[in-house]
Amino acid sequence: MHAVEAELGRSRLVPELARDEGHFDRSREPFGTASIVLQFGSITMRLDDLSRRQADNLARRYRRFIISAETDPSVSIAFRRAGVTHFLEPRRDGTPETYRLESRRREGDLALWSYEFAGRLNTSSGGAELALVAETGELFDRGLENFLRALTASLILEQGGLLLHASAVVRGGRAYLFFGPSGRGKTTVTLLSPGDVVLSDDLSLVVRNGDRFEAAGIPFGMAHHRIPDTNASFPIASLNTLLQGPRVLREPLSGAAAVAEIVASLPFVMQETGQSGRALEVVGRLLDEVPAYRLWFRKDPSFWTVVEEEAR
Amino acid sequence: MIDLGVVLTKNPNAAYRVYDGQATVVLPERSEVHVLNPIGTTVWDRIDGRRTLAQILDAVVEEYEVAPDEARRDVLAFVAELREHGMVT
Repeated sequence: MHAVEAELGRSRLVPELARDEGHFDRSREPFGTASIVLQFGSITMRLDDLSRRQADNLARRYRRFIISAETDPSVSIAFRRAGVTHFLEPRRDGTPETYRLESRRREGDLALWSYEFAGRLNTSSGGAELALVAETGELFDRGLENFLRALTASLILEQGGLLLHASAVVRGGRAYLFFGPSGRGKTTVTLLSPGDVVLSDDLSLVVRNGDRFEAAGIPFGMAHHRIPDTNASFPIASLNTLLQGPRVLREPLSGAAAVAEIVASLPFVMQETGQSGRALEVVGRLLDEVPAYRLWFRKDPSFWTVVEEEAR
Repeated sequence: MIDLGVVLTKNPNAAYRVYDGQATVVLPERSEVHVLNPIGTTVWDRIDGRRTLAQILDAVVEEYEVAPDEARRDVLAFVAELREHGMVT
């Protein structure tokens, strides 16, 4: 009997509290008085207290996602000057480290922080605050997008959806999701689909729209990921975990193994018990409605023939 | 060596759901996901802070019609794995 059959997603995030636990309580200066509103999938995000320059830059970068400022947002984020050079201190001995992002949830408050930012969200009011160590440049961009990605993961889970480490390509009006750890081919799949609408080559939003699940992209591409071609969402045709092989082959993936594979592809929300329990529920519902497969593919577009076969 | 009289408790931080007779268990503090096979799920399901390991073993023998010696060996090895991964105490 091999009772523990598989271990997935064993990446480790070492919890390390920032030295200054009080940095969420300090009063901080806003950058300015400008605002922009972004919409993607079922999420509407209002970014407040930006400088004019920040607002203009972000409006250009996220142009496909900008909507009228009058729209009621899912969350309003007040931008603040950090007034410190960092929240987490990078190691000074030169040893390489993975990007650390810490989180803590107390009652309705979710706090997130890393080197360049400290942010928090009150889940009941939809109010959030983001303190950034820089007004522009790489530190601003990285802090901003890492916070907004983590915030998106939390918000969409509250709405019965997921932020999935997956690429998503639309064909015939339906979205095909390709997931798996880095290096499995998520970006390759999008590059092999030049005529199609690409929602993401990295992180895809799975949203609940009425009685079905749909996929959408998120605008936060972290400079090296593709900005989605559209902010629209599309019904999901199938979920495909990628494996590279000499020939194209697809086999159904179901039950606990399917749940585990998808759960292992959920960033940000699996480090906290309440959220991970909720994520398990949502993944279970998703798999009740959308077929999942293991897809072996090679680096040519022939995989589409198999992927587009009528599901179930 | 684990005593059959021991009463085990699930890690309170573990989130799990059973799909088609198999449990997916998430351990947030370790960022680990485990899939248990049906017999492992039977054991996991019965770990409740009240039943002894001997009682759980009896349930496995009855449900799966396996030889008691074989079941004891496998269940003890499985429970040792659960302990090693911080899934039970």
